[in-house]
Amino acid sequence: MTQVTFPLPDVIPLIPEMFVAVMAMAILLWDLFLPKERKQWSAYAAMATCAVAAALTLKLASPDSVNAFYGFFILDPFASYAKLLIYAGTFFGIVLSLDYMKDEPNTGEYYSLMLFGTLGMMLMTSAPNFVTLYLGLELMALCTYVLVGYQRDVLRSSEAALKYFILGSLASGFLLYGISFIYGVTGTFDFAKAGIGIAHAGADAHMALMLGMVFLLAGMCFKVSIAPFHMWTPDAYEGAPTPITAFMSIGPKVAGLVIFIRVLADVLPALQVDYTTILTWLAVLTMAVGNLAAIAQRNIKRMLAYSTIGHIGFAMLGLIAANADGYAGVLVYLTVYLFMNMGAFAIIILMRREGIQGELLDDFAGLSRVRPGYALAMGLFLFSLAGIPFLGGFWAKYVVFIAVVEAGHLYLALTALLFSAVGAFYYLRVIKYIYFDEERVAFDFAESRLMQATVAVTAIAVVALGLFPGPMIDICKAAISNII
Amino acid sequence: MLELGFFYMFAGLAVMAALGVVMSRNTVHSVMFLIFCFFNAAGLFFLLDAEFIGILLILIYVGAVMVLFMFVVMMLEVNFAGLREGFLRYLPIGGMIALVLFIEIVAAGSSGIFSPEGMPDPGHAAQHVNNTVEIGKVLYTRYLLGFEVAAIILLVALIGSVVLTLRVRKDAKYQNISRQVNVDPADRLRKVKM
Repeated sequence: MTQVTFPLPDVIPLIPEMFVAVMAMAILLWDLFLPKERKQWSAYAAMATCAVAAALTLKLASPDSVNAFYGFFILDPFASYAKLLIYAGTFFGIVLSLDYMKDEPNTGEYYSLMLFGTLGMMLMTSAPNFVTLYLGLELMALCTYVLVGYQRDVLRSSEAALKYFILGSLASGFLLYGISFIYGVTGTFDFAKAGIGIAHAGADAHMALMLGMVFLLAGMCFKVSIAPFHMWTPDAYEGAPTPITAFMSIGPKVAGLVIFIRVLADVLPALQVDYTTILTWLAVLTMAVGNLAAIAQRNIKRMLAYSTIGHIGFAMLGLIAANADGYAGVLVYLTVYLFMNMGAFAIIILMRREGIQGELLDDFAGLSRVRPGYALAMGLFLFSLAGIPFLGGFWAKYVVFIAVVEAGHLYLALTALLFSAVGAFYYLRVIKYIYFDEERVAFDFAESRLMQATVAVTAIAVVALGLFPGPMIDICKAAISNII
Repeated sequence: MLELGFFYMFAGLAVMAALGVVMSRNTVHSVMFLIFCFFNAAGLFFLLDAEFIGILLILIYVGAVMVLFMFVVMMLEVNFAGLREGFLRYLPIGGMIALVLFIEIVAAGSSGIFSPEGMPDPGHAAQHVNNTVEIGKVLYTRYLLGFEVAAIILLVALIGSVVLTLRVRKDAKYQNISRQVNVDPADRLRKVKM
């Protein structure tokens, strides 16, 4: 007999993850026993899970980095902050789903899959090595594939899910292939050790490392929809149920950019010259595609998909700056983006009415005359997305622009400024529809207190972050302190 | 020397089988080539003293996964003419990207780090080392987190496939088991006086 000692690993840092996993499974079972008229309770349970997990994460947050599970998990302020953003994204996603998914079958699985996806994102943010990164990524991706295709009787939903799935699998292959080259050179999966190995690698390893880095970057770029790996985004955004579009536009992007930062800061610092060139061109292309293609869109979900691509392009400036200010800027960007994007999607969902999806720009015509409150809120979100001063979106752009200028990329910042001005055009066009056009389709809003509360909270957050950005920026800088 | 010969045999056949997967016109043949490719990969694992993984590859991939693949291929009616449509139109750009990638991969693979001098022969494990035992020692300890997350991924895949395919049709006739069990003979049979 072989004796195997089983030292129980330190599970304390993983309590939020374990809680979310257990709750996701519990909701899956509990939903079976709920009568039809009480199916909403599984949604409430999922919302409560997010809230409790956030409380647990806050309770566990400490200024130090804690390694757990033999170096397969790391808990640092960066991960904690990113997790809070992810919980908020999932929470809002569930709130938006309440009315939208009411008539769909199998809602228990729907909310449970959202929680499993959240678990995948949480693991990604806490990944100190490639194994955890990949497993978290696959867990998140698998959940989003299914959620995108959830309305399987809707053709465009199934089509979007299939496209997303095939391209996503390809991207995972890229990622793994890149990791295999880096593993081949350094012999380790650990980010920090791989970083040291790369720094000490000889000239004969250069070609292999470059190839590994390019594939690794391509795989990660796909997940956060950086051009030219963005092709899936408009289709997936348009085809997915709108609450899932909102959910997908926050959590996965937060998790994706967090692993981007970890990989750039821990694994690839020795190759900074090379990756800066690649990322700079990708950023320019991403900003161009996002902001120019959005102009041609008539469907607002598609427009917001290109808008996401454009915003990721701006957030990439923080990655290119590769200093503490830049990385903190990415977090600031994601924080503000969470509120303004969720708010905009909440309004889009409210626009869904008898017979129409409320996704076309025409459907917004004349909103200000019927519901001035919603019109004002949508105006605030769009102004903020466009980066008009003294709303949250302005500071998001300001922080990353300043960081990238300080890092010595003045021309890149000017290019970004130019695309930001182009981008303002299509946001303002929606405002023109809302405020200056005649009503074309009768408005008939379903009253939902939770939705109204979501719109109000996000609108207040966008304004508050715009007027008092100081505390948020300080928190983000503190969160990043262990990375650099 | 014999080992080297086996290595080249397994590796060469694996590469040829992989080419067969992408080149053959018939999808069933592709699946067959993939099975052959897995067999040769298993052979490579045997040469590395990892007989447990080699056996797993044969049992799970060849025995279970590929059989399922075969079922799926036979159930789906794939329109091969449609698949080839636009092949010529995308050939220049696709071929160019493939060529660049191929050159890069060959350059990276043949660069010094992966040369025989850079990667010395690991040799063979001692007689008493049993790789099943060695995997068992680390799977639930060092790699516990990864193992559990992989389990959750499988659970999600299961839920996802059921959610996307389960269909409760209103017009279909279902059996109500409890009613069937609780049925009373008097409901079914009526004695009539003639």
